[in-house]
Amino acid sequence: MNDRTTEARADATRTTKTHAGGTSTTAPPELAVRDITVRFAGLTALDGVSFTVAPGSVHALIGPNGAGKSTCFNVLSGLCRPASGAVTLGGTELTRLAPHRIAALGVARTFQNIVTTQGTVADNLMLGRHALTRAGFTASALRLPGARREQREHLARAREIAELTGLGAHFDSPVGLLSYGDRKRVELARALCLEPRVLLLDEPVAGMNAAERARTAEVVAELRAELGLSVVLVEHDMGLVMRLADEVTVLDFGRPIAHGTPDEVRRDPEVLRAYLGTDATDATGEDAA
Amino acid sequence: MSDRIRALLTRRRATLLTVAVLLCLPPFYLDAFWLRIGLFSMAAAIGAIGLALLSGTAGQLSLGHAFFLAVGAYGYTWLAGDPGPGLPTALAVPLAVLMAGLAGGLFSPVAGRVKGIYLGIATLALVFLGHHVLLTAESVTGGFNGRSVPPLSLGGFTFDADRELTVLGVPFGAEERLWFLGLALFALTWFTARGLLRSRPGRALAALRDSETAAAVMGVDVARHRSAAFVVSSMYAGLAGVLLALAFRRVVPDYFGLVLSVDYLAMIVIGGLGSVAGATAGAVFVTALPLLMTRYADQLPLVAAPGSAEGAVGPTEAARYLYGAAIVLVLLYAPDGLHGLARRARDRLRRRRTPTTVPDTAVPSPPPPAAAARPKEHTP
Repeated sequence: MNDRTTEARADATRTTKTHAGGTSTTAPPELAVRDITVRFAGLTALDGVSFTVAPGSVHALIGPNGAGKSTCFNVLSGLCRPASGAVTLGGTELTRLAPHRIAALGVARTFQNIVTTQGTVADNLMLGRHALTRAGFTASALRLPGARREQREHLARAREIAELTGLGAHFDSPVGLLSYGDRKRVELARALCLEPRVLLLDEPVAGMNAAERARTAEVVAELRAELGLSVVLVEHDMGLVMRLADEVTVLDFGRPIAHGTPDEVRRDPEVLRAYLGTDATDATGEDAA
Repeated sequence: MSDRIRALLTRRRATLLTVAVLLCLPPFYLDAFWLRIGLFSMAAAIGAIGLALLSGTAGQLSLGHAFFLAVGAYGYTWLAGDPGPGLPTALAVPLAVLMAGLAGGLFSPVAGRVKGIYLGIATLALVFLGHHVLLTAESVTGGFNGRSVPPLSLGGFTFDADRELTVLGVPFGAEERLWFLGLALFALTWFTARGLLRSRPGRALAALRDSETAAAVMGVDVARHRSAAFVVSSMYAGLAGVLLALAFRRVVPDYFGLVLSVDYLAMIVIGGLGSVAGATAGAVFVTALPLLMTRYADQLPLVAAPGSAEGAVGPTEAARYLYGAAIVLVLLYAPDGLHGLARRARDRLRRRRTPTTVPDTAVPSPPPPAAAARPKEHTP
């Protein structure tokens, strides 16, 4: 009753680290988004969006509310099927795969509004290990030694990831009792438990206070340095984007209007127009906010 | 620290042993009436644990539980009986359970795609279909009058009263022997269900219940896990059906109606959704109450003896009122059921015992979830 075939394939193609927690040996594959168009009953949410996430880079997706950033994430993680266009990870086409198969390829995401499950932090993180584990219904019901060993090993790795994201002290606490910032971090840690090659972060610091923001930014920077994974980041906090991103794509009403390094994008007249309306002369103050 | 864990483990093991020994005692002290209550409770608990996995953990509503109980009960009777292949009874039990699982699997195109209350409606059809088949397929099911159930025999030992057997000076009839069979099957159910809940499949099912989207992007195959939950739940129902058939010694179609499905839902609601211990407690409550009230009808106020004058409230009806009231009370004041009540009581006890706890290890008990049932608003 498990996805033996999918998982076997995922394992074969995956060259990142094992459960022991060593660092990755090869760079993650390139994530290429080509000409994606999504329509919802007359509304074009994404209109010919293309960008490429270079292996191991942090790529930010910014734009005003309703620009299509979250829709873009939904396409990347398979929750939303585009009308046209393609997303490829390395040589694999993602647009036709079900969400769980995309997850098995090492694409993990977090959500804008927190989506955790009941139970403890450990339970949530172990859900993140789902694609990497294979204990099925029979083995788990009978508590076969293999299933128990697997659970033990992966629990140890989940604990490591909890420590890494600053959740170590809360590992056995029910998620419902944690602060907003901690719950947001549980999502991040759960995504990391997938040992992703590409991590999609949908507003990871939204609603956090300054200290929590700084801590999360630190964690993301650390992750990227240590694990060498590619990160796609949707965020309204321009300070964070400017600090973390290598490249920025700006969306407005579903269309990409600018692309480049944070500094280039910051000076782009189109971007200033989208964010501040017409005739903007000085937007750097807003950007730094 | 590790010493403490070890101490806890052995204490846990000791508790388990004590409970096991206590559960083995009743056949030596109680008469057949009480043993029958215990047997029916154990069978109901097995079925309720199956439903708790489906409804409580995976968040899928099923009104078709009675159908799978019937598949188990009739499956065993037919497989081991005379119109039928007449297989050895010990083989017929697992085959009947597999049959119930297969029936659940055949329903998986629906169970994998349809969510929550819609699945409840879809499974309703199964109960009516099943009842119709039980009445009409007379060569297999015996029709309206049902069939008598061949007693189980395991390696020469028959769970029946036919041959005299005395253990420690107590004559062992069918009930005494079946008690131990029920106990073994219940222990198996408890062990496997808790194993499931605390491991990968259980977490995946809980994730499906809480957020299908989150589960899917974490790598959970939604349709596959939905149908698997349904199959597993059907298999537990099938096992419960076999035990019920053995305890009743006769299977009749009218027992496996919609009311039975609703009874099982009542069990898991009263016990607390998604908990093995809760489902067991709920099963005992719902099963034992009407039987006890029938027995003690003459001593209870406001309850008439069975078969007395019209207009009086008989014990069975009174039991239904009582557990109806129990459901309403549970939904209003303890939406997490008996299981939640017990947990809160335990937390409170523990806190009272250690008034000065270390702040960073003390986890406050979770607040009671918002009432599951909201009174209907008045519409003008």
